[in-house]
Amino acid sequence: MNSSNITITLPGELRFIRLASKIASNTASLFTETRKTEAENWEFAHAFELAVSEAFTNAVVHAKKQAAPQPVTITFTLEERKLTIAMRDSNVPFSTRTPSPDPENYPENGYGLLLIRTVMDTVTLTRENDTNIITMSKTL
Amino acid sequence: MTITETTGSTHTIVTICGTLDASTAPDFRNSPAIADPSRTVVIDLDKMDFLDSSGLGALVGVLRRKQEANATILLSCMNPPVRKVFDITGTCKLFHIFDDTDAATDYAATYLRGR
Repeated sequence: MNSSNITITLPGELRFIRLASKIASNTASLFTETRKTEAENWEFAHAFELAVSEAFTNAVVHAKKQAAPQPVTITFTLEERKLTIAMRDSNVPFSTRTPSPDPENYPENGYGLLLIRTVMDTVTLTRENDTNIITMSKTL
Repeated sequence: MTITETTGSTHTIVTICGTLDASTAPDFRNSPAIADPSRTVVIDLDKMDFLDSSGLGALVGVLRRKQEANATILLSCMNPPVRKVFDITGTCKLFHIFDDTDAATDYAATYLRGR
């Protein structure tokens, strides 16, 4: 199977969240160009924009708890009809045990993983050698 | 993100242009009409191009504090990417959501007369 990889590394700082999410959406948008309807292409690009914004924010928020914020590395893997993004950082991992927030309680946090899991086809969270890896993929 | 506030006698129309995420949420919370818990606001989202969970959390927190102070937030002109975040999280049921700002403004006036 043919695939192409693109890897970028950004500082783990709040001001880079938008850059990370726009790189993801633009990559997804160019990847999908003319393959589907405009609405389907938009949904595909927005899904990656949202998922990367959530994952990068999580890495950065936890990075703020450390003395020196760690960089975040994002790898895009493009296959024939599938885009996968793996994000690596050395900060505190996502808490996967936190239940989805109940809106009735007006929670201000805890929606991120719910959003990622909803807009992506597959999501895996692993920790290897003190590195958090969240892998998110979606097929056209 | 830019925030514009148009203040009337009873409520304020807040127009947000751009992105509401973790990097811009502090500016949103500090905007005068947003930071005043007793001030009812209509937030026009027509020019908001992106919202994530950090921005949503800011909106939910401000709504809670305003409701505790007998005020509220009314949302208008949601774009599809913004609406999607409310729908997935179920937070759409917490807010009064209007298709246009005029309708939200009319509702705000009625809401405030009824208090």
